[in-house]
Amino acid sequence: MIVLRRKLADLIALVFAAAATLFGLTWLVWILWTTFVEGAAALSPSLFTEMTPPPGANGGLLNAFYGSAVMVMLALAIGTPLGIAAGTYLAEHGRHSRLAAAVGFINDILLSAPSIVIGLFVYELVVRPSGHFSGFAGALALAIILLPIVVRTTDEALRLVPNQMREAAFALGLPVWRVTSRILYKAAMSGIVTGVLLGLARMAGETAPLLFTALNNQFWSANINQPLANVPVVIFQYAMSPYDEWHSLAWAGALILTIFVLGLNLVVRFFARRGNK
Amino acid sequence: MIEVLERRAREAKVPALPTKIDVRRLNFFYGKMRALNEVNLAVPANAVTAIIGASGCGKSTLLRAINRIFELYPDQRAEGEIVIDGRNVLDPRYSLSILRRCVGMVFQKPTPFATTIRKNVAFALSYYERLGKRELADRIEDALRQAALWDEVKDKLDASALSLSGGQQQRLCIARTLAVRPEIILLDEPTSALDPISTAKIEELIHELREQFTIVIVTHNMQQAARVSQRTAFFHMGELVEVGDTSQIFTNPSVPRTQDYITGRFG
Repeated sequence: MIVLRRKLADLIALVFAAAATLFGLTWLVWILWTTFVEGAAALSPSLFTEMTPPPGANGGLLNAFYGSAVMVMLALAIGTPLGIAAGTYLAEHGRHSRLAAAVGFINDILLSAPSIVIGLFVYELVVRPSGHFSGFAGALALAIILLPIVVRTTDEALRLVPNQMREAAFALGLPVWRVTSRILYKAAMSGIVTGVLLGLARMAGETAPLLFTALNNQFWSANINQPLANVPVVIFQYAMSPYDEWHSLAWAGALILTIFVLGLNLVVRFFARRGNK
Repeated sequence: MIEVLERRAREAKVPALPTKIDVRRLNFFYGKMRALNEVNLAVPANAVTAIIGASGCGKSTLLRAINRIFELYPDQRAEGEIVIDGRNVLDPRYSLSILRRCVGMVFQKPTPFATTIRKNVAFALSYYERLGKRELADRIEDALRQAALWDEVKDKLDASALSLSGGQQQRLCIARTLAVRPEIILLDEPTSALDPISTAKIEELIHELREQFTIVIVTHNMQQAARVSQRTAFFHMGELVEVGDTSQIFTNPSVPRTQDYITGRFG
């Protein structure tokens, strides 16, 4: 009797768990499937060779890809060193200090801050004083998105380095900076790289912070002091438009963005697995 | 091999050696918990001193006080004096870098750095000394030979240190410590994570290093203490119970508690 009840409870739990999984997966597969079907239909070599077109004409997304790449790279260049330095402070230097605990807490708030707020912040900080939208402002907004991710993952990765390793290095009489740069970073490398790549994936798809900062640019521009085209905002504008050509470009952009982010996640897994060995 | 070591330990003469480390009225605290209570201990130069006692008796704590590695943790605190060559190294003004260059330490678990064998040995060496390429290579070879590891790794110095066996990793850690030419070597249960063959190799090594270095070894293994050391100190509950020549401690201890521990009646 008891065995039967147990088996029944097990069966019910299993059915619920399977149904919940199926429910979640359905949407994911549906989104991916739609993006793939619609996007694949719109794929063509001209995507990578032509500029975003005026309504009713054919074109590509070259300027948007370029703008996105420039802003993401610039954001990486700003956010990565700052984030690694701050994460190192949290994990190594300020391990027992209240200031570090406070900084860690504020960092977590920044981590979950709505990205549109960060866009508005940079708008007030850079765009309004300078009088125009710019690629630089966009990169800055993305860097602020990236920063807390890198801070947190660096902190976590360094904390995972066993204390024995730290003791062994310090027992040789070396100063903190040398132990950190030569021993601890090496041991924590896969974790830190994982954090930067995850941050990169997050930045690549962010739209809200760019709406108020980089805006968009229908033409080719390599000037980061001017509005800069970028993939997420182009997708947003083209998807909202009434033109079929723009719709299909938006789908193509969405597909390529999705593939890029999925690819990055695969790279992240590779690094994470290598780190576990 | 072990018999040879035991015979050697018996034969090793124990003349009145000069004191290298003089621990005076040392008290140690983990937060509010007192782990060492008024410890006085003179460690002779160029000999092996074994520290024995049950878990939690404070033997590792004593080692961690000598090179001040405990200072990594702000809630740990030492009071009293540890005098090395006439200077109190617990004095906060005493440079940690100078202290730790003079006092090397090898831990229970092998802790190779995640890099090549060569860089593991060169790491601290190239920080302390500006050496030419040739000199650096020589010093690395010397250290690895001293640690009895050279023949096993000479053809793969650029392989990852993590590819070595546990016993080899531990000898690499010893080589890393020897490379900066310390005067004192602290060994915190250096063989407790190793198999018997690796353990015998390390014991042989300790025996060879004895003449050039002052060695303090913490061990749970009574036979090991008897085999490798000339002096033995027995700790119990944070206090030094008895210290003397190893042969005397193991054959004719003056305190009954020492006798009980050595014969396995407690601990």
